[in-house]
Amino acid sequence: MLGSLGRGALSHKALTVGLAVIGGILVVGFFVPLPHDPVQPNPANTLAPPDGEFWFGTDRSGFDVFSRVFASARLDVPLALAGTLLSIAVGVPAGLLAGTKSRWSEAIMRGLDMFQSFPLLVLAFAVVALTGNSLRNVVFAIALVNAPRFVRLVRSEALSLRESRFIEAATAIGASRTRVMVRHLLPNTLGVVLAQASLAAAHAIIVIAGLSFLGIGISPPDASWGVMIRAGSQNIATGQWWVSLFPGAMVFCTIVAFNVVADGVHRLIGRVED
Amino acid sequence: MRHRTGRVAKRLVFIPVAVFIVITLAFGLVNVLPGDPALLIAGDLASDERLAEIRAELGTDKPIPQRYGEYVHQLFVERSLGDSYFTKRSITDEIIQRFPDTLELVVLGLLGAVLYGTLLGVLSSYFRRRWPDRVSRLSVTITQSIPDFFLGLLLIYLVFYKLGWAPAPVGRLGLLDLPPERVTGAVILDTIIARDWGLLRTAAHHAMLPVITLALFYSSHFAKTSRAVLARAFTSEQVEFARACGLSEMKVVGYAFREARTPVLTYVGILFAALFGGAAIVETVFAWGGIGPWAIEAMTKLDVPAIQGFILVVGLLTLLVYLVLDLVVVALDPRVSYE
Amino acid sequence: MAPLLEVNDLHVEFKSRRRTVYAVNGVNFSIGEGETVGMVGETGCGKSATIRAIIGLLRPPGRIASGSIRLDGEDLTGLDARRLRRIRGAGIGFVPQNPFGALNPVLRIERQFRNVVRAHRRAGRGRIREDALEMLNGVGIADPERILGGYAHELSGGMAQRVVIALAMVLDPPLVVADEPTTGLDLTIQRQILDLIGKMATTRGSSMLLVTHDIGVVAQYCSRLLVMYAGRVVEAGPTNIVLRKPAHPYTEALLSAVPRRGRRLIAAAGAVPTLLSRPVGCYYYDRCRYRGDSRCATETPDLKEVSPGHWAAVFYRKPTMSAQEQAPEKATTQAQAQEDRDGDDAPGTD
Repeated sequence: MLGSLGRGALSHKALTVGLAVIGGILVVGFFVPLPHDPVQPNPANTLAPPDGEFWFGTDRSGFDVFSRVFASARLDVPLALAGTLLSIAVGVPAGLLAGTKSRWSEAIMRGLDMFQSFPLLVLAFAVVALTGNSLRNVVFAIALVNAPRFVRLVRSEALSLRESRFIEAATAIGASRTRVMVRHLLPNTLGVVLAQASLAAAHAIIVIAGLSFLGIGISPPDASWGVMIRAGSQNIATGQWWVSLFPGAMVFCTIVAFNVVADGVHRLIGRVED
Repeated sequence: MRHRTGRVAKRLVFIPVAVFIVITLAFGLVNVLPGDPALLIAGDLASDERLAEIRAELGTDKPIPQRYGEYVHQLFVERSLGDSYFTKRSITDEIIQRFPDTLELVVLGLLGAVLYGTLLGVLSSYFRRRWPDRVSRLSVTITQSIPDFFLGLLLIYLVFYKLGWAPAPVGRLGLLDLPPERVTGAVILDTIIARDWGLLRTAAHHAMLPVITLALFYSSHFAKTSRAVLARAFTSEQVEFARACGLSEMKVVGYAFREARTPVLTYVGILFAALFGGAAIVETVFAWGGIGPWAIEAMTKLDVPAIQGFILVVGLLTLLVYLVLDLVVVALDPRVSYE
Repeated sequence: MAPLLEVNDLHVEFKSRRRTVYAVNGVNFSIGEGETVGMVGETGCGKSATIRAIIGLLRPPGRIASGSIRLDGEDLTGLDARRLRRIRGAGIGFVPQNPFGALNPVLRIERQFRNVVRAHRRAGRGRIREDALEMLNGVGIADPERILGGYAHELSGGMAQRVVIALAMVLDPPLVVADEPTTGLDLTIQRQILDLIGKMATTRGSSMLLVTHDIGVVAQYCSRLLVMYAGRVVEAGPTNIVLRKPAHPYTEALLSAVPRRGRRLIAAAGAVPTLLSRPVGCYYYDRCRYRGDSRCATETPDLKEVSPGHWAAVFYRKPTMSAQEQAPEKATTQAQAQEDRDGDDAPGTD
């Protein structure tokens, strides 16, 4: 009894901390007035190390790193979440369909195998580059990379749930296949989908950082962590670490926070991977 | 035995289908998606006539089925991947020139990832809930949360700038070094072929950081997989019986590890493909000069034949890796034939 | 002469952060040289923990809390991992339940023999191969050459268990511990395998500890019998005496629960206590037909000799007044009904 309470509290604590970090980053990005204009460089102060005025220093063009790091959150985090939502919107129905006994199941899985044997990150780069640099296309790219994991997850959940008693019962009292899928399978996969969504969001942050690092999808002067890391990449070999380090650290924190949330959700629904 | 050959035969039969799909995908991606290379080449201010001219030159004014036919014809009859829109160089040459460098990086990075990752997995599952397990989990948590290119920059700052143990990230060799005589195109391999040990040292030294970057970043996959499989294996009846027969712990770990072999190899295949994307950014960071940065540049410039060529080559290579992997798995595991 | 194996007041605990399971609570028994001893009891009675303690392979968090296990006079509980490893395989052979699980799936059988032998002594390939062939012949495998070159998955269940027995005994261990060695096998093969184990032990002069559910097996192969309950030996003695005149109410319940024809051992009425704490009083108190005065409720009976060589952990051997009033609970659990059906399939032993 005490043990399970302890576990509950632990998962809530992890969840709370993870969500608080993500929330905090967003709140600062959107609502807290930043000390400098994130997209207006100050040519008088280029590559200034962190000090009282420029807390995280400035980059080569004179952008204030602190302001830009938090301004990037406005772009990167919502993009990651939007991409993840789209992955769920595509992946979950496909997974449900693949998890039912229909002729679609085999086709979806074979198609997925084929699709996933490609380097998806490269495909994502290519798609964004070819369709033009726009935020909408970045969202598509993330969905492209992340949707397969939802298909697989929901399918395997559906397959194992299908064997369970209550689905059997629902089928026995004559519920239609669609009804079984939507009313019974879907709610029961909610927990794992949420946890997976958090992991997918973490991955999306990496993908976005990669894209913008290469100047695909988002390009300067728009603030994005990848853009910022790129801006500092030439300076890091000469010792000006702050330009890349702070955005990199933010990426790291955000990803860890999403992973912690996923872990918390796993614990909450009693699926500790161990 | 018949089962085994049957399985392999099935794979072989599937290959033409897969090749066809790869070709179609490579074509479809650049031709069906919106985005007009002509617009990019001519610039925003170009006149409609100029645009039409460029489209005619590139062949993008023709209907898609016709273009597809021409593409397939070009591939199989002319045996060519076409020429770059911009440099007019043959894509095949461009790829042949750059591919070995990337392959070398990917292979070395993957090798490092497998070694480091499975070591973590073994330690973690063998010393469950003790400190090696915690250290291993910490390593996984960290490396899976740092984008590889940022990890590369961190390493440059620490190992090159602060410690001075690594050379400047200027590519495969120092700026003043003459590359070895080109045989395979892979610099490290070529220095070995040329028996130029001094140059090999230089090349290895330059390869150190990019390889470590990739190895660390991708190690978490192997650590997690091998940990999960080995944790089960270490409590299996097989391992218990091996211990009950008095086998040494080294042998016991070996018995358990054989269980993890197949999943680890499967990941090698999957990541091999993924690494051609991942490595592109790391190559950029270290000025590696492989196929990755070239492909990225082609993408940003909408150099259609280059993009097509890149996707085609990577896709085919992936198919090849999966096939080899399958053969290796079959060769290593006597049970597979029964599945 | 000192017995080959002597287990003295053995306690095994499984201690996790949240709870401790007291799996074995003061087990005493010994096995003489060349003797075959049967160990019976329900699932969860501590049989498995006892034998794993003997072979030194308790799974964490299990550990020997106190007591001693002496093999040929040497206490195994104090040995370091290295010495213990040398004992396993060479000093004590272990035959597990499921032969398919036990054999390495990706190594040829010959290689597995080589690994086992070389874990204990230097030996050339040819020598090991000869030994292995001889062992496989001994366990009744017709074409040992082919088996050596093959893999586990190519074997039938009976064949696999024969190979496992050969592996367990290739180093001629003076003691063989068999953990329900026929559970996973077809009924027709079970008998063959048990005959084989019995024969191997006899011809090679090994002692044997045979853990089983099957009383028929015990009756046929074991000279002595240990009955375990809740982590304790509650009755021990020569098989024929214990089976004919059981002294412990639990043994009685076990025997009466045996279906007429099949003579399979099944669960007696009630449940084994969950050993999250050491019970006060007699461990069998809750289920006992004969329980009487406060002594049963407060004091734990130790084994005492009820007739020469026959020991039982009881205070009373007849129903006391208070116990007679309450009718003995009937064994009608679902588990039993299931076991009954299984038992009917079993070949009769009488």
